[in-house]
Amino acid sequence: MTDFVRAATDAGRRIAACEAKGVHAFLAWSDAVLLEQAQRLAAAGATGPLAGEVVAVKDVIAESSFPTTCGSKILEGWRSPFEATAVRRLRAAGAIVAGKTVCDEFAMGSSTEWCAFGPSRHPLDPTRVPGGSSGGSAAAVAAGAVTMALGSETGGSVRQPAAFCGVVGIKPTYGRVSRYGLVAFGSSLDQIGTLGKDVASAARLLGVISGRDDRDATSLDRIPLGEPGPAPATLKGTVIGVPREYFPAGLHPGVRAASDRALARLRDLGAEVRDVSLPHTPYAVPTYYIVAPAEASSNLARYDGVRYGPRPDGALADVRAVYRATRGRGFGPEVRRRILLGTYVLSAGYYDAYYGKAQRVREAIRADFARVFVQGVHALFTPTTPTPAFRFGENTADPLAMYLSDVYVCTANLAWVPALSLPIGRDQGLPIGGQLIGAMEGEATIIRIAQALEGAVDATAEVR
Amino acid sequence: MSVTRKDVEKIAALAELGVDAAAAAELETQLTRILAFVARLAEVTDDATSAADERAARLRRDAVDPDPLSRAPREFAPAFTEGLFTVPRLGELDRGDGP
Repeated sequence: MTDFVRAATDAGRRIAACEAKGVHAFLAWSDAVLLEQAQRLAAAGATGPLAGEVVAVKDVIAESSFPTTCGSKILEGWRSPFEATAVRRLRAAGAIVAGKTVCDEFAMGSSTEWCAFGPSRHPLDPTRVPGGSSGGSAAAVAAGAVTMALGSETGGSVRQPAAFCGVVGIKPTYGRVSRYGLVAFGSSLDQIGTLGKDVASAARLLGVISGRDDRDATSLDRIPLGEPGPAPATLKGTVIGVPREYFPAGLHPGVRAASDRALARLRDLGAEVRDVSLPHTPYAVPTYYIVAPAEASSNLARYDGVRYGPRPDGALADVRAVYRATRGRGFGPEVRRRILLGTYVLSAGYYDAYYGKAQRVREAIRADFARVFVQGVHALFTPTTPTPAFRFGENTADPLAMYLSDVYVCTANLAWVPALSLPIGRDQGLPIGGQLIGAMEGEATIIRIAQALEGAVDATAEVR
Repeated sequence: MSVTRKDVEKIAALAELGVDAAAAAELETQLTRILAFVARLAEVTDDATSAADERAARLRRDAVDPDPLSRAPREFAPAFTEGLFTVPRLGELDRGDGP
């Protein structure tokens, strides 16, 4: 029988140790809440695939024990009156919620430096970022505070921090996991994803939270993915595509060495490794930075000081002045920038030149993936990020430089396909992530390949 | 394409977002750079839907308008005087002799 109280007490100790080291993975957690959940589960004699697992939750996902702030001053202290379907499902599976993790404000960022309540720090090197926007979730897993966590992706926000921190991150097919209770950023891109200390942990969590939800009209009518199978001993008969656009001449030498080694292990396992092309890849970041801000500018209109957000003190001329003051003071610089960019590309004079064009290029990017997968490729292998974790402040002054750190991950969000990052080695002590991208609804395939690769590669070994 | 101060002020007004002068100056530069970067999408040839196509999105003018009400307040108010809703005093409600 599961000892829920012991699981909760141990988790509390690990979280306290993680935070005492200055990682700052959590925005909210408490021993009392951990214990209360454990006692409730024990009294109910709870069983389930996650019985006694302690799971951290990114702060853009609605949960009722703690505030849901989205890392923003505009939602400081706000408590959701309902819980996300993903959270309800993990509770029903016997899990305990560890607390809410640090993220860039409204999930807009790649480092957690845009969190209004301070960033998380890389557990292996406090001078470096853990990645983002789900950086708190990745840091919590990497620091050993929890073995699994929920994150969210709009343009790589689970896989990029997973790669930086040396853990596993899965972005499922769009619609695989309900978005009910995930605070909206870019609705045609957003998905809840999972992070774990290994492939099995991240896959088990995904298996529990996946499946149809009538509260989300975009959720796929499929049964939950369930438990992952055992790691396969061989990959004979599996075709791995290597898109040449993801391996430019100037690729970071550590990232290249780790990728080459992982590809050699895949060949050793019996997989056929094939050169392929996704020709519209260079246009993915520009497309993403039109589509996502356009959707964000609309989704974030609700934070106006009336429906959500604190009203500023003092007399204001009219309701419009309340809106402007609330939003101007409540949002941080990156969110303001993206709202304005989104408003610009949606304005009548520029709609077709920017937004219309981006939607058409997005279709071309989706067609690139579809073409490769119908040619018999089971999964694609790429680096997850162009570099290992960067230093604090390195990219904050230049938004474009920060956006380019998403170059290998935002394609899967635009194309709705599933993708996974797993650690494949280290360069000068910093983890490097390898990415497996699957066809639509191909989670089981990329999880199986990742399990085999995980067993064949020493993820903590230096690659050069 | 260069974003001007006037452009920033216009989109800030459309977005109902207060932006001070210092932030506006920074945004001019940043948005100009970002838009120059995303403009590379023009290199991609596609079978674009022409603006005259009847399937093209119909755009409304760029303006912040009040939320439209299907009926004027006067039409659904129990009592309406000089542009204001007229409501009973709480004591009157207790006696059941409100309007």
